[in-house]
Amino acid sequence: MSGDDDRKRFAELVMPHLGDAYALAHWLTGNQADAEDVVQEACLRAFRGLAGCAGTNARAWTLTIVRHTAYSWLGKNRRSALVAVDDLEAVERAQALSPDAAVASRPTPETELIAKADAARLEAAIAMLPLQFRETLVLRDLQGLQYREIAEVTAVPVGTVMSRLARARARLIDLIRVDES
Amino acid sequence: MTNPVNASTPADESLLLIHAYLDGELDPANAIALERRIESDPVLAAERMRIETLRRALRERVAVKPLPPGLRGRIEKAIGLSRAQPKPGPSWRALAASVALAVIASSGATFLALHDATGDRVAVEIVDDHLRALMAPAPIDVRSSDRHTVKPWFNGRTPQAPRVVDLAQDGFPLVGGRIDVIAGAPVPTLVYQHREHIISLSAVLDTIKATPPESRRTMRGYNLVRWVDNGIAYWAISDLGSTDLDAFVRLFRAAPPE
Repeated sequence: MSGDDDRKRFAELVMPHLGDAYALAHWLTGNQADAEDVVQEACLRAFRGLAGCAGTNARAWTLTIVRHTAYSWLGKNRRSALVAVDDLEAVERAQALSPDAAVASRPTPETELIAKADAARLEAAIAMLPLQFRETLVLRDLQGLQYREIAEVTAVPVGTVMSRLARARARLIDLIRVDES
Repeated sequence: MTNPVNASTPADESLLLIHAYLDGELDPANAIALERRIESDPVLAAERMRIETLRRALRERVAVKPLPPGLRGRIEKAIGLSRAQPKPGPSWRALAASVALAVIASSGATFLALHDATGDRVAVEIVDDHLRALMAPAPIDVRSSDRHTVKPWFNGRTPQAPRVVDLAQDGFPLVGGRIDVIAGAPVPTLVYQHREHIISLSAVLDTIKATPPESRRTMRGYNLVRWVDNGIAYWAISDLGSTDLDAFVRLFRAAPPE
């Protein structure tokens, strides 16, 4: 494949998803400058790896590369963001799926709190989520990917996507509640 | 994906499945079984309310991170795409420039794809029209969120005014309409928005008989859904993920008649 063909494919497959790519990088790195670096690097990687893109789901493919690149960046610059999560998941696994009935059946005030939360509070709460919960939530609730696409992008089974998403949302609700009170 | 939902499904698992249910990831049989459980269990009903409220708040209030000015240009330059045209101005122009590139880059493919089978040719034109609209100064000819304004606007401009429904409550506000030309004939196209994504919905008189009731495809990175209602072939196209586009199609099809 010639360089022109590659450029053409890149324009068709990757460029339409630049907005999503940048948003994901921003949520993962936490700021604009680093997100820009990650997206640029990811685009170069995507361009070099175009042969590996089947073209059937260019968005998930692009986001997978962005995520990889962001993780490399975090590994170099923010090791702490990466390590804490596994321990945390182990702890959460023990308790996560046994929400006590008292919490779950406390509907109205909490639902109102969530409904009233403004953009700044929601964004701050998302930013506080551990990385792997955050990326799952962002891919689903902000970028609208299907579970199997998220599984592809984050390289975990669909079941893990489901449980991470459930925990991400539960934590987010907790964060919004704590923030409020 | 998971075990069937039935009366013996533990409450914990039902709590987990509520997420999949609200995300449209449960198959119909399991969705119905879960709905029954939710109806009879206030804990599950409260959880469903919490999650739904959160999803809605995220969808409606968390702003999209805007692409920093210059980033697109730097990437195009790094890859060798752009011919270094200066583009200050709003991000809209940056977007248009990249779409223009995509169109120019893919026009060869467009002509190759012009064989007339099961609406392939129409699909190509739908994609072209969507891209062209994104490149134009405004993606719409009539800008209104009021269907009672948009629908009459088509009178006299297209052979038939399209069905227009209001989906703002569901996160898909109507932003307007435009005329596209498909197979040489003017066609009404409605423009809806979801977050920062634009959805074009064209209503084409269905001349191809015996086509499947609903079909999906991806072309040049865009998702397309086509379905036929009352002799009209509807084409929805967007860079939205297929789940969201499917949700839009479901809502549009399920909306009560005007």
